[in-house]
Amino acid sequence: MIKWNVRRTVSSLAVTAMLTMIAGGSALAADTPANFPKEKVTIEIWWHEYGPFTAYVKELIEAYKKVRPNVTINSVVTSSGDINQKLTVALATGTGPHIMDQDASFYELYFAKGVLEPLNLEVFGAKSHDEIIARYTPGGIAAGTFGGKVYALPYQGNSMSLFLSNKAFEAAGLSPVKDAPKTWEDMKALGPKLKKVQGNRTVQKAFDFPYHSPRWEMQMFQPLVEQFGGRILSDDGKTAYLNSPEAVKALTLWRDVTKATGDPKTTMNTPSNPNQDFIDGRTAMWVTGPWATSQIRQSPVKDGFTVVSYPQVDPAKPHTIVYGWMWGVNKAKPEAERIVAWDFIRFMLAKPDEWLAKAAFVQPVKGVNETQVAKNFPFFDVHMKDVSTASWYIRSEFTNEIGQAVGRAIERTIYDGVDPKASLDQAQAEIDKVLKK
Amino acid sequence: MSQAAAPKKAQGSSTAYAARSTSRRRWRISLASRQAAFGVAILLPTLAILAIFRFLPMIEAFYLSLTQYDLVHPPKFIGLANFVSLLQDPLFLKSARVSLTYVLFSVVPVLPLSLGLAVLFNRSLWIKNVLRSAIFMPVVMPAVVMAVVWTFMYQQDGVINTILGWLGIDPIAWLRSSASALWAVILIGIWRATPYYMVIFLAGLQAIPADYYDAAEIDGAGKWASFWHITLPLLKPTMLLVIVMNVIVAMKVFAVPLIMTGGGPADATRVLPLFIYQTAFEFFDMGRAAAMSVFLFVGVMLFSFIQVRMFTRGDEQR
Repeated sequence: MIKWNVRRTVSSLAVTAMLTMIAGGSALAADTPANFPKEKVTIEIWWHEYGPFTAYVKELIEAYKKVRPNVTINSVVTSSGDINQKLTVALATGTGPHIMDQDASFYELYFAKGVLEPLNLEVFGAKSHDEIIARYTPGGIAAGTFGGKVYALPYQGNSMSLFLSNKAFEAAGLSPVKDAPKTWEDMKALGPKLKKVQGNRTVQKAFDFPYHSPRWEMQMFQPLVEQFGGRILSDDGKTAYLNSPEAVKALTLWRDVTKATGDPKTTMNTPSNPNQDFIDGRTAMWVTGPWATSQIRQSPVKDGFTVVSYPQVDPAKPHTIVYGWMWGVNKAKPEAERIVAWDFIRFMLAKPDEWLAKAAFVQPVKGVNETQVAKNFPFFDVHMKDVSTASWYIRSEFTNEIGQAVGRAIERTIYDGVDPKASLDQAQAEIDKVLKK
Repeated sequence: MSQAAAPKKAQGSSTAYAARSTSRRRWRISLASRQAAFGVAILLPTLAILAIFRFLPMIEAFYLSLTQYDLVHPPKFIGLANFVSLLQDPLFLKSARVSLTYVLFSVVPVLPLSLGLAVLFNRSLWIKNVLRSAIFMPVVMPAVVMAVVWTFMYQQDGVINTILGWLGIDPIAWLRSSASALWAVILIGIWRATPYYMVIFLAGLQAIPADYYDAAEIDGAGKWASFWHITLPLLKPTMLLVIVMNVIVAMKVFAVPLIMTGGGPADATRVLPLFIYQTAFEFFDMGRAAAMSVFLFVGVMLFSFIQVRMFTRGDEQR
């Protein structure tokens, strides 16, 4: 037993060391890039507010100051809903930060606007961008790569998996392990068993799709379309397929699953608290990312949940979605400050296991699942399995417009009873106009 | 004094008078000029602030409406293309419809409600001041707080559906149905605007001399006749002010729909200011957003102009 523990500890340490080297942050002082400024430098970093994440980044800033005493880092924290607007306006007016934090899907827009600086290879000790890409899981860095060059690095790449309330399952005489749904048909079958209605009021939903933001609606719609073999956008991003037969099947399935399991009119979820219904016991099943784990564990649910893979149309051809947030560097800043910015990003990303332990964010770097922290993280294997069958959230200059058009189409069908085909035809017409720009 | 010296003296005196007179006139002009200059000097800082922070951005917005501008690249002049495209855009037209519906149904009920409350509180009630303060509370409440509180009140288990439940009425998905969401937002607009305009009407009512009512009473006029023939005509300027202000405020409503519904479901509450915001800061199409703002500006101006004309038509004839 002792031997096993020693072996395990040693292997964990080895993996951690390997990961640290992969991410390029070990022995930072010794790895100082040749052109790293010696004079005093001040840089600014902006990120979106999320309690554990903010606390960890602040901790990293303090740690970095000890290694690079000539660098001052000023920080601005803003809500996830506002960061895109604030960042874009700031970049346009020349008041943007050195390091930006942004949802991966927006980097396409920033790249198109020419505000991003390509990753500084020297700072990361790499000879090519391919070498950097190889440090990540396949496709793990795709959302930040343009024309073969890396422009943004992810600090989280989230799968979407199905969280089950053990309490709700057990109250219905079900086992969250044995009776866990694998397909959308299973979800529909579980609906009547888990949904509780008192009079005309739904007091517990079996499952609900998200309706609190177009982004989340798109996040659920895209994998459904892809599970039917379709896609949202062409590779070049110039053609949308919102009313394709696969998309219509996806929205029809969304509607049918909702009828059997949910009650969208009762949701209490909000963009700043998307897991509210699950935490409050108003829904027995909910799709969310691994980052929600710490929030759920701190809620009355505590450890009374089980995570299973994202439901499928055909389990033989599993397909899920991954989305994330990335760090990028502002091209408009002086060279010395850009070097410092990349150096700090390298420092921040150096310990993926710490990111998982402190912020519950999964960095899509190779080997992260071998760390001790990952092994202790609840249902980490499930999250990783879902990542392995995932494609990234759509990348487009018009991510917001497409997300909103899809959100409206879903709401027309779910709330107003509009036929899925008619609703998606309207969305397609709206997006065709946008893409013609 | 010689005879020759007399006319000289007279001439001298007349010249002195003329000089004094000219000097006095000059002094008078100079005083007026100085006063004018003083007035301008006092106004100048305010005018400068208005010019820099109000008029210049407005002119800039007019210019941007003729351009394609994504915040990052320099604006590109495209003439009236934004306006033409907007008039053919179903999303813009729907948003304009939503705004008009909001304006119509949040302005019309406020008028009788605020006037009715003002008439009520113009009487001597022993708890008048307490009631006035209580009713005025929504006006001082920040829009964000109000929107959050009402969001909770509209939930399935919120206070409104609970009360409906006691009356045997099924819960209504106030904010989660295209059919009811706009009405739910309108209701908040009415709730918030009524006490504010009540205070304005109250001021108008208190400015009407009591003699008129006394005379009408002596002539045998009842309460209703006094209200109809004295109160309403004399409140006409107040009414004009209330309607114009209310229309302008309603046209610009933004925070409540943004927080409560984000414009949904399915765009049912996406009022024009919200769509302008999304177009500018979510879609980064500043030119198009500026063109929408111009439409909104022209709409507000047009509304105000029509209302002023309607209310002052009779006065001009007199």
